[in-house]
Amino acid sequence: MSDIRLVGLRKAFGKQEVLRGLDLVVPFGKITVIIGRSGTGKSVLLKQLMGLLRPDSGSIFIGDTDITRLPEGEFRKVRNRFGMVFQNAALFDSMTVYENVAFPLREHTRLREREIRERVVASLASVGLADAIDKDPHQISGGMKKRVAVARALIRKPEFLLFDEPTTGLDPIMTAHVDELIRHTQDTSPGLTSLVISHDMEATLRIADKIAMLFEGRVIFEGTADDVRSTDHPVVRQFVEGRLEGPIKV
Amino acid sequence: MNPIERLGAWVIASIEDLGGYTRFTARATWGMIRPPYRFRLLFKQMEFVGNQSLSIVMLTGAFTGMVFAVQSDFAFGRFGARGLLGSTVTLALTRELGPILTSLMVNGRVGSAMAAELGTMRVTEQIDAIESMSVDPVQYLASPRIAASILMVPILCAMFDLVGVIGVSYVATQMLGVNPGPFYNRMEWFVDPDDIWGGMMKSAIFGYILASVGCYRGFYARGGAEGVGQATTRAVVASGVAILVIDYFITLILAPMSVNRA
Ligand SMILES: Nc1ncnc2c1ncn2[C@@H]1O[C@H](COP(=O)(O)OP(=O)(O)O)[C@@H](O)[C@H]1O
Ligand SMILES: [Mg+2]
Repeated sequence: MSDIRLVGLRKAFGKQEVLRGLDLVVPFGKITVIIGRSGTGKSVLLKQLMGLLRPDSGSIFIGDTDITRLPEGEFRKVRNRFGMVFQNAALFDSMTVYENVAFPLREHTRLREREIRERVVASLASVGLADAIDKDPHQISGGMKKRVAVARALIRKPEFLLFDEPTTGLDPIMTAHVDELIRHTQDTSPGLTSLVISHDMEATLRIADKIAMLFEGRVIFEGTADDVRSTDHPVVRQFVEGRLEGPIKV
Repeated sequence: MNPIERLGAWVIASIEDLGGYTRFTARATWGMIRPPYRFRLLFKQMEFVGNQSLSIVMLTGAFTGMVFAVQSDFAFGRFGARGLLGSTVTLALTRELGPILTSLMVNGRVGSAMAAELGTMRVTEQIDAIESMSVDPVQYLASPRIAASILMVPILCAMFDLVGVIGVSYVATQMLGVNPGPFYNRMEWFVDPDDIWGGMMKSAIFGYILASVGCYRGFYARGGAEGVGQATTRAVVASGVAILVIDYFITLILAPMSVNRA
């Protein structure tokens, strides 16, 4: 039942300041979408949540716990509370779909093969992919890979589900399908909190309970889809309308 | 930057790189010792190392033995010492050529494959995915590969020795007309099991180096397909050089001991 709170988060790579004091609350039990242009540090933000990268300064809270400076060993327990769907699905291409989804169970539980199979089948069925179970990742389409990645991220029933640009590179029909899957997963998983990274405004307006716009290393706008539609914030307007001229330099 | 600054930057980068390599290899080595033990991955990697390299190692061994027989026959013939041919060539094969050539061949096939595979996993975020599922990616990916290489390169080296000696014997006794009696006699007399064991020990060290360098380069590859290609090339070159240099120092350290033995 925890929110995620990011406070004054900063991250630079050499001289390049990517995050410059970012503040954001990701409310429990909802879909929050962070939107921003490519290269603004959206993936960097997600990776810091999972401890794959560490912030230079600022804090990350889960509920009341400050996880920012946990040692690696402790962080591993925190990661168990997260599931992440990577930008290009990041399925292991040396494994079948079945082995991919079974991976977290094999690594973290002592379930028998029969129980693993049951849970993998159920998880794949919930994303509509029961019949792809014995395929290799290179045999299935980009949209199917995304769904396998969702099944893999969900199999240990995480509290937080993170999506990194779930619909980038998919055709419009597949995009609608994945959006629907994110909404469906959120609505059918009690206790789940979803955080989606996107640069697709339309999809964001469809699925988000809360929208945060990332610009020049900070969150410059927060609100609901209706707030976004009605705001006259120049950066948000430019992004929504996809105009070339405005505060966002191309 | 002037040349001196550039040299300084290069030295600092090299030292940082060596530090990174050392930390990575220490972590991977510790990963072999501590649980969880993933025997399935270990056996899969052992099979991979063996399958990739067995035929090329045996081919190299056979031709090295054969060409060495011809060259040595030429040299020994001048001193009328052809009877020493078998023992000399066998010593050279088991002590030096076996470990070195086996490791360089395995490096070309397996070290490069490890760098390319881990590099691809890095740039497609598969390594991040492993870590995001609370699994230590160094232990999961690098430890079994390095362990498999430590175990398999000596076995491949022994195969090289065996085929090499068969090659020498065949060329010497069947083609060059060396008298088989003294040939085998001297060979048995001069070549000690310790020579073979010593060579295998060295190959274990070389296996450790080529796999850890390959994994390290792949693990930290950056920047798409091009970055993976670069990581692969750098891994093969660095391990190749390291194997030759380290071989020199091992030989230097071990040489006095084998003199005492004789
Ligand atoms: N590990 C890293 N090392 C150096 N620079 C990085 C690293 N990860 C990301 N960056 C840089 O940070 C910036 C933001 O990247 P990213 O978060 O991937 O953008 P996006 O918003 O498109 O997901 C980019 O300019 C990228 O080059
Ligand atoms: Mg990104």
